[in-house]
Amino acid sequence: MKTITVSFLLNGKKTSVTSLPNRTLLDVLREDLGLTGAKDACGGEGECGACTVIMNGNPVNSCMIFIGQIEGTQITTIEGLMEKGEFHRLQKSFVEAGAVQCGFCTPGAILTAKTLLDNNPHPTDHEIREGLSGNLCRCTGYNKMIDAIHLAEQGGLDD
Amino acid sequence: MQEFNYHRPITITELKECLSIPGARILAGGTDIVPRMRQGKFSVPALVDTSGVKAMRFIEDQGSEIVLGALTTHQEAADSPLLQNINPALVTAAESIGCQQTRCRGTLGGNIANASPAADTLPALLIFDATLLLQSLEGERRIPLEEFLLGPGQTDLLEGEFIHSISFKPMIGSWGAAFIKIGKRSGMAISVANTAVAVELNDKGKISDIRIALGSVAPTVIRCRKIEQALLGKEPEPALMKEIHKACQEEISPITDIRSSAEYRNHAAEVIIHRALESAVEQAKERGR
Ligand SMILES: Cc1cc2nc3c(=O)[nH]c(=O)nc-3n(C[C@H](O)[C@H](O)[C@H](O)COP(=O)(O)OP(=O)(O)OC[C@H]3O[C@@H](n4cnc5c(N)ncnc54)[C@H](O)[C@@H]3O)c2cc1C
Ligand code: FES
Ligand code: FES
Repeated sequence: MKTITVSFLLNGKKTSVTSLPNRTLLDVLREDLGLTGAKDACGGEGECGACTVIMNGNPVNSCMIFIGQIEGTQITTIEGLMEKGEFHRLQKSFVEAGAVQCGFCTPGAILTAKTLLDNNPHPTDHEIREGLSGNLCRCTGYNKMIDAIHLAEQGGLDD
Repeated sequence: MQEFNYHRPITITELKECLSIPGARILAGGTDIVPRMRQGKFSVPALVDTSGVKAMRFIEDQGSEIVLGALTTHQEAADSPLLQNINPALVTAAESIGCQQTRCRGTLGGNIANASPAADTLPALLIFDATLLLQSLEGERRIPLEEFLLGPGQTDLLEGEFIHSISFKPMIGSWGAAFIKIGKRSGMAISVANTAVAVELNDKGKISDIRIALGSVAPTVIRCRKIEQALLGKEPEPALMKEIHKACQEEISPITDIRSSAEYRNHAAEVIIHRALESAVEQAKERGR
């Protein structure tokens, strides 16, 4: 099997990786690029959303994407959400609302929530539930996530 | 993870060439194939990644027909105002697939090529008598979707061929079309049963055209001609439930599996056909006003 070289925009930076083609975006993020925010919680079945990253504005499961498929795309991981040393308002509101417990689902849930708010700045509870239905959480019972998203929607804590 | 030769064509000509490699398979959204390869359930000598083939990702109104590129994602179908007007059943079906993460990656072509008896976009395409355009280095051919689906995971796709696009004709007059699915867990459930119903009412308010497709009750998603026949020419009223019940008994013989029992599927099929019919009739009356 021959290696391939893939170029893409990762958290705003031009990035190029050389890898065997049978590895997923999740493998490369975690093992080659040291970005361990995206996690595997279901064995790569596409069921849990812990591996969610943003690809060209959409939430996607990085465990179901072979590395070659991201050529020319824009990828945002949880590590890229901070701006000028400040946490993103969703990161703050998740902490504030108690929506981070064990934390395993948190990066994926926050990234999905970001795409939700980007497309729909004032979602209803129902729209939030629908939007987050691909992000499983065994700790928070989801209500705190809904609170967190409403908190961020209202401008968050200090921005 | 298994090994394979990886190809990433950009043009359709390059795609045809890559697929002429013996045993080569398309990697579209990857929502089906990547997890299966990871579990070792599936191996291929060559994977042809279509993420660079932009010319197969479109939704177009070509006048007499609507044409959808095979690489159109479920999310793009769900968000399309054009499809909402022409085939609302397909929009509802696409919206019902998995979660957003899956909809943003999974494609119509992948849903069709997979030929799952529970695939959600298939009933909504079958009721519009959708036709597939298949291409290969050898040339191209058109085939009705209904003839393309041969069994669970089995299709009429030949070695070297791929689905280029899907087309169907809009309905005219007083028509409506609806999709309903029953799954165990909302959000990402595989259908226990799903259905799409399209109906046209004449000026006397009677059913002048009806098309019903059912999923998860047979080896492929099917058109239910017996139920259609039983309802044709009738007045759409609640009493039709009896006709649906009778015709359903003749039409389908679902199986019991890990997701559901045959008995439940039978009952569920009748109920969702009835509900989808009600919703389609409501739209038809609205259009007739
Ligand atoms: C968590 C989860 C939830 C899901 N929920 C649903 C659901 O609710 N309803 C549902 O119907 N499905 C569901 N699926 C299944 C899957 O997402 C869909 O079937 C999807 O449409 C597959 O498309 P894809 O582009 O990802 O296919 P891929 O995985 O890329 O390909 C699947 C197969 O189709 C072939 N193929 C793809 N495109 C073409 C083409 N143009 N021509 C020829 N062959 C082609 C590939 O070679 C492969 O064999 C779910 C999957 C997951 C992981
Ligand atoms: S690891 Fe569970 S969806 Fe990707
Ligand atoms: S906080 Fe533990 S899984 Fe969500």
